[in-house]
Amino acid sequence: MNTFWLLYKAEIKLSFREMSSVIFGLILPAVLMALMGMFAYSNEELNLSFAAIATIGLCATGLMSLPLSLSSYREQKVLKRYKVTPISPMILLFAHVSYCFSLSISSMLMVFAVAKFGYGMNFIGSPLKFIAGYLLVMAAIHSIGLIIASLSPSEKTTGAISSALYFPMFLLSGATIPFEIMPSFLQSIVKIFPLTHGIELLKGIALNQLANLTFSLTVLILTAIVCLIISIKFFKWE
Amino acid sequence: MENAIEVSGLTKSFDGHTAVNHLSLKVKKDTIFGLLGHNGAGKSTTIDCILGTQKPDTGEVTILGCDPAANRKQLFEKVGVQFQENAFQKGLKMKEICEITHSLYKHPMNWREQLQAFGLSHREKVKVTELSGGERQKLCILLAMMGQPEVIFLDELTTGLDPLARREVWRTLEKLKETGVTIFLTSHFMDEVENLCDELLVLKNGQTLVSGTVQEVLACTGTKNMDEAFIHLIEGDVQ
Repeated sequence: MNTFWLLYKAEIKLSFREMSSVIFGLILPAVLMALMGMFAYSNEELNLSFAAIATIGLCATGLMSLPLSLSSYREQKVLKRYKVTPISPMILLFAHVSYCFSLSISSMLMVFAVAKFGYGMNFIGSPLKFIAGYLLVMAAIHSIGLIIASLSPSEKTTGAISSALYFPMFLLSGATIPFEIMPSFLQSIVKIFPLTHGIELLKGIALNQLANLTFSLTVLILTAIVCLIISIKFFKWE
Repeated sequence: MENAIEVSGLTKSFDGHTAVNHLSLKVKKDTIFGLLGHNGAGKSTTIDCILGTQKPDTGEVTILGCDPAANRKQLFEKVGVQFQENAFQKGLKMKEICEITHSLYKHPMNWREQLQAFGLSHREKVKVTELSGGERQKLCILLAMMGQPEVIFLDELTTGLDPLARREVWRTLEKLKETGVTIFLTSHFMDEVENLCDELLVLKNGQTLVSGTVQEVLACTGTKNMDEAFIHLIEGDVQ
C-alpha cells in the first residue's frame, strides 16, 4: 500500500514536471469552458457545453497519458525492473491509472466550477447520474488507451496512434465543435467514435432527457468491457 | 560450501539464433562470481534466464534453493538486481526513486547513510536523468542493495565510470562480500575481474569457453594476466 501511494504521488509530480497532461487535461478544458460560456445564451446551452467539455480531460489522460506512459515504462524497462522486486509491476500500472482518473475527475470539477461560478450555470439533471455517466465514459476511453498500450510495439508508434485517435475525437465528437451544428453526413461518421456516444449520454443526463440514451449506454459499456479484455489478453511486460 | 546460485543445462534461443547454449555454473555463497564475454556473448540473456525475466528453453535454475519463476515474491526480498539499463520513470528525482525502492522491501537498509557513503547526499533532489554516468551507476548499485539482499546481480556495473569511481565501486562490493553477500556480476573489464572475482566464467556466442578461479584460468591459458587470457581465449577459439 505504501508503495502504491508513493508511486501514485510520483505519477502526479511527474505529470506536473512534464506539463502536457496538465495543459491538455486541465488548463485547456477550463479555458474552453470560459470561452464557450460567453456564447451560451441559455442555461440549457451552458449545461450542454459543460457536459461536452467535461470529457476533454478524460480524453487527454485516457488516450494520451495512459498509453504513452505505459509504452514508455515498457520500453525503458521500468516494468521489467519491478519484476525483479518483491512487488508486481501491476502496482505501477494501477498507480498510473489512478493518477489518470484523478486528473480526469479534477478536470471535470474545474470545468463545472468555471460554468457555475463564471456563468451561473444551474445544473438541470441529477448530479449523481452525471457522475455515474462520467465514470462510465472515463472507463470506456481509458480502456481504448489500454488497448493502444497493449498492441503498440513502441513508444513512437503509440505516440502516432494516440494522436490519430485523440485529435479527431477531440475536434469531431462534440467536445469542442458542438455535434448539433455539424452537417448530417459528418454526424453519422463521427458516431463511430465512442466519445460521441459518451458526450451524447452526458448531455442527456445534464438536461435530464433520459429517453433514447440506451444505445449510447450500450456502446460505452461494450467498449469498456471488450477493450479491457483485449488489452489484458495482449498486454506484454517487455 | 553451499551454493547461492545453481544453473544447469541452460539454453535460450531467439528466432533460431542460440543466445545461450547449455550453460552450467555454480556460485558459492559469500563469493563474487564474474560472467565475462564480449558484447553480444549472451551475458544479459543469461542473467535474464537466471532471474526468470525470460523463460529458458531448457535447463534448471535455482537461486538460494528456490525456482526464481515460481517463488518470485519471497526470492526478490533476498535478491537485489541492477540491470544494464537505468530503468526509471522519466523525470524522477533521486530521493523519490530511493523512497519508492525503500518501500518495496520488508527489511530495507538506511539509504541516506549509503547515499552519504557514496558521496551523493547533496544530489538527492536532482533528477536521475541529470546525474552523471558515475553518479547514476552508484545509485543503481544502491538500489540493488536496498533490500539488504543475500545475493546481488550487477550487469555491467562499472561501464562508463572513471577509474576513481570504479575503485570506489569495487570497495563497496568487497565490503558487501565481507558482510556475507554473494555477488554475480558481468563485466568486460579484465582488471575488475582479476581484482574482485573469486570465480569466473568466459562466454562466447553463448558457449562456455572456460570457468574456474582466476589462477585456474591463467594456468589453463598459459597467460600472465586476465587481459591476455581473455584475448587468448576469444581469438584462440576463432583459429
